[in-house]
Amino acid sequence: MSPLTRAGATRYLASRVKNEVLVSNLGQASLDLLAIADRPLNCYTFGAMGQCSSIGLGIAIGRPDVRVICLDGDGSLLMNLGSLCTIAAEAPKNYVLMVWDNEVHQTTGGQATATARKASLVGIARGAGIEKGIEVRTQEELERAVDRILKEDGPFIVVVKIDKGSSTAPFDQDVIGQTSRFRKALAALPAA
Amino acid sequence: MADQSWAKHVADVLRRNGIRLYATVPDYIVSHVLDELGADPECRVVTATREEEAVGLLSGAWLAGHRGALLMQNSGLGNCANALASLNMASMVPLVLVMSHRGDLGEFNPAQVPMGRALTHILDALGIRWIRPTSIAELEQQTDGLIKLCYVSSQPVAIVLPSELTGGKKG
Repeated sequence: MSPLTRAGATRYLASRVKNEVLVSNLGQASLDLLAIADRPLNCYTFGAMGQCSSIGLGIAIGRPDVRVICLDGDGSLLMNLGSLCTIAAEAPKNYVLMVWDNEVHQTTGGQATATARKASLVGIARGAGIEKGIEVRTQEELERAVDRILKEDGPFIVVVKIDKGSSTAPFDQDVIGQTSRFRKALAALPAA
Repeated sequence: MADQSWAKHVADVLRRNGIRLYATVPDYIVSHVLDELGADPECRVVTATREEEAVGLLSGAWLAGHRGALLMQNSGLGNCANALASLNMASMVPLVLVMSHRGDLGEFNPAQVPMGRALTHILDALGIRWIRPTSIAELEQQTDGLIKLCYVSSQPVAIVLPSELTGGKKG
């Protein structure tokens, strides 16, 4: 059992961000972020499982003056491992991929993912060419990692090992409204 | 014999509609368009590992204020159908798809044929408006309007490039 929870780590990260964009994966990551720290610069994703890291990469390329932090899940990232190669090749300095890694497909009933067995996402990312990879297992390690990703150039991957468990937060069906709100908020953010 | 300037016409119509960011999974036919775009210092081309990834990337770029186009082979449509439906269509994120039509007239590879036959049916099933110009004149006549429709409706659209236009791939 990990001492960190997705909700606790989300709450801590949200307490540290200002003008950073947060891009949350469909399901658990978006539910917790919406309930704990809703803000216009949150980009919730609701579909396209696997694409959170790629959507964030596109935002980072489109707004190189804004730091973009993706909140992905282990099951979703495992569906789109090629994304790690593209992140490494494009290498946006303003890009951070955080992964809530609870080693299960939480939303579909807790089936084990490959990270429960042999796979290391930080190891895979290093092989893809992302040199700054951090695995986090404690609150202290999380705080040190957040210090770095808010200060240093990326791209980063931060894999946060979290406890299993479903979010209890309600689902917001206003998919179009949330997406539109984010796009307007980012457009209104002055160039840094 | 296809007029070899077709690729420049495709590149020009994309550029004159304000598209500067391109993502691709390489394909022989659309590579002719990418040669034009890659030589343009105002354009950025990102090579993805899979078409679905390119959909995510270009969708993110649109959320950050940039128009984008995905250049691919029609086989790639099968690799990104879910992202187009559950991201672009559901969240109203526009995206211009440009794809060669392998598996149709003059095809040499049997493996291309089933997706070639299914292509327009898949687009229709998704409700994606598409054009399939068979000449440069048709391309010039239809494409500006299609791209305008893309951004007015906030939905993906598709430009299908048949072998009658491009000359196809000989083998």
